[in-house]
Amino acid sequence: MDVLTRAESQSPRNYPIQPPRRSLRFRQALIGFVFVLPWITGFCILTLFPLIASILLSFTRYDIVSKPVWVGLANYRELLLSDPVFWNSLKVTIKYALVAVPLGIMTGVGLALLLNSNIRGISIYRTIFYLPSIVPVVATSVVFMWILNPQIGLVNTILKQFGIQGPAWLGDVRWSLWSLIFMSLWGVGGSMIIYLAGLKDIPLELYEAAMVDGAGLWRRTIHITLPMLTPVIFFNLIMGIIHAFQYFAQAFIMTQGGPQDSTNFYALYLFNRAWSYLDMGYACAMAWILFAMVMVITLLIFRSHTSWVHYGE
Amino acid sequence: MVNNMPAALHEITKRIMANVVLIGLASAVLTLAACGSSSQRHPPRKQIRFWHMWTAEWKVVIDRYVKNFNNSQDEYEVVALSIPASGGANTKFLLGVAGGDPPDVMAQWNQIIPAWGSKGLLVPLDSLMTAEEWKQYQKTTYPIAQKIGTFRGHLYGVTTGVNAWACYYHPRQLREAGLDPDHFPNTLEQLTQWAERLNRFDKQGHLTHMGFLPTTLQMFVNLYGGGFWDAQEQQLLFATPKNVDALDYLTQYHRKYGFDEVLRFTSGLSTTGSSSGTDWPFISGAFSIALDGQWRVKQLADVAPDVEYRVAPLPAPAAGREKGGYGSGNFMIIPKGAKQVQGAWKFIRYVSGLQDPEVAGEICSWGGWLPLNDYVANSKKFQEYLAKNPAFRTFVDIVHSPNIEPIPPVPFQDYLYTRIAACEDAAVVRGMLSPKQALERLEDEMNREIKRRKALGYEE
Repeated sequence: MDVLTRAESQSPRNYPIQPPRRSLRFRQALIGFVFVLPWITGFCILTLFPLIASILLSFTRYDIVSKPVWVGLANYRELLLSDPVFWNSLKVTIKYALVAVPLGIMTGVGLALLLNSNIRGISIYRTIFYLPSIVPVVATSVVFMWILNPQIGLVNTILKQFGIQGPAWLGDVRWSLWSLIFMSLWGVGGSMIIYLAGLKDIPLELYEAAMVDGAGLWRRTIHITLPMLTPVIFFNLIMGIIHAFQYFAQAFIMTQGGPQDSTNFYALYLFNRAWSYLDMGYACAMAWILFAMVMVITLLIFRSHTSWVHYGE
Repeated sequence: MVNNMPAALHEITKRIMANVVLIGLASAVLTLAACGSSSQRHPPRKQIRFWHMWTAEWKVVIDRYVKNFNNSQDEYEVVALSIPASGGANTKFLLGVAGGDPPDVMAQWNQIIPAWGSKGLLVPLDSLMTAEEWKQYQKTTYPIAQKIGTFRGHLYGVTTGVNAWACYYHPRQLREAGLDPDHFPNTLEQLTQWAERLNRFDKQGHLTHMGFLPTTLQMFVNLYGGGFWDAQEQQLLFATPKNVDALDYLTQYHRKYGFDEVLRFTSGLSTTGSSSGTDWPFISGAFSIALDGQWRVKQLADVAPDVEYRVAPLPAPAAGREKGGYGSGNFMIIPKGAKQVQGAWKFIRYVSGLQDPEVAGEICSWGGWLPLNDYVANSKKFQEYLAKNPAFRTFVDIVHSPNIEPIPPVPFQDYLYTRIAACEDAAVVRGMLSPKQALERLEDEMNREIKRRKALGYEE
């Protein structure tokens, strides 16, 4: 068999005819679709349908058990023009987001920088700082109710050693929101791990080059570490803001919005309107206002990111 | 032979195993059959799904009366489910009704009757009575028990345990302060003077012990002859002179010791400040006189049987209303859509004493609950309970009073309840607003809510 004959015998014409490429693609797509079908079904029933329903319900008076009654924009009008509790809850939430999110980022980055060192037992330290973030929020809240107890709590007992009479924390209008902000640092270990992973991703040669140029620790941190960490900071900023606007469980458990509505967060007021006062239509309108706000803030941050987020290019 | 041994052994093992499995299966079948026959003491019965919010020591009482009811029944069987109030009992109920699968009967204590009644979620229980029974119910049931369960002329909840408040006090602490525990004050003014003599402070001047700490605005407005509800005009009242007087009394009381100081003292007594459980500060002696509910009698008997205490009604101010105060209670409701309405009603009648006061008297004695009428209160078992717990007589006496009022029956009752507490908190606990300002703020909030509901088309 010469070369030509051998080549001919191995040519595709001697193999069974292949199905057309389009049909193969279709079959693969079908198989793929079948695999994601359970998720799509769940998404449509449990997310998409409630989402669409809540838009419609926000234009109704709806108490869960009776049929919804169309009221047009009345819910939105009442919320925006005549409900001071709504505005107060928004103020409380924004105040929390403005302080707790940057504070969480600074603490998370700071801890990650400290835990990025190569000292003995570093993995134990990392575990210790990460552990609190996996404690369930209910358990954390109950523990903090004790820690912040004005009379027998840990914080005031320590302050007392220095001759300081601590405030009533959760029971004091001036301190209640700050107490929750302070408590939010307890769960900073979750974002710290992400920052740590980001730090590990920074190429070592950048530091080596900077050291050759004579850059000290501070300059290396400012000019290499932080810029290279900005994609991770950007991610945590977006997630932090979304979580801050949805802040609920701790206030529900620890303060129920008090004292004097000082911790009446947006999500807590929404929950009470929906389930305590059976104003589901009103609560749906609140949910969509919240959605719009978070969307706008996220878009603004996305727009700004080209000026401060560096992707190491 | 030696070579055949493993095969033989294998065969024997197989047979033994087969026999063991067979015997096991046979025993299981026989056991199941035996169990089935022993529990089948009644003919097949209709199930009544009963939801309640009691836990811990109170759940034991519920389980006990459910068991007794079931033992007395051939037609119905109550299946009780405890859903703690903090675990979303109301939400679960609403979703059950909305989903067409509610319980048949639920025990409640929240401010829900006007809200749920006005939305048509509840079966009017008067519709399950004959005209004569309804008339009799209205005639014999204590006023506060009727007020709690009634909304716009219909009965939506039958009270199975009224909550009333009175002053618990430590006779020993009173004696030590030179006060006579046999002659408890007759006026609020005198009680206030006693309390001052009972306070204790540390070297820095901080409170370590309080004689008495008056709280709960809805209690004091009625005690002062005011109130938040004009029953004749069916309208809310707020900054009336008597209501302002009541809030002023509470505010001045706190101001005297310092708002921060009282807050610090009370915050240290429990994490939540409510002390609804057995961590009640009265037990540890932190208060000489404590204004609290009748359920403490059972708790004291259970957890602090050695504590010597007595109970007296909260005295009215000189120009006030005798035995005025605030009342709430535990009551049974039947949701619309319940599948066993008649069975649920039978169960309610059994527990409340509308069917047999003797049965309800015994149930009240287990839970330390206040009955809904004199028939139950005079039952043999309840009288025995009173003989054993004389302190409880004070509450039975109080519950007869027509001057005890619940939170006004408006469809946004729960919101009103929350804002009354916020009003008291602003003036009394923090001194942020004057009593008049706090009541006017409450009025503004309620007017806004009424306006909002009108704008959204609620039928009020």
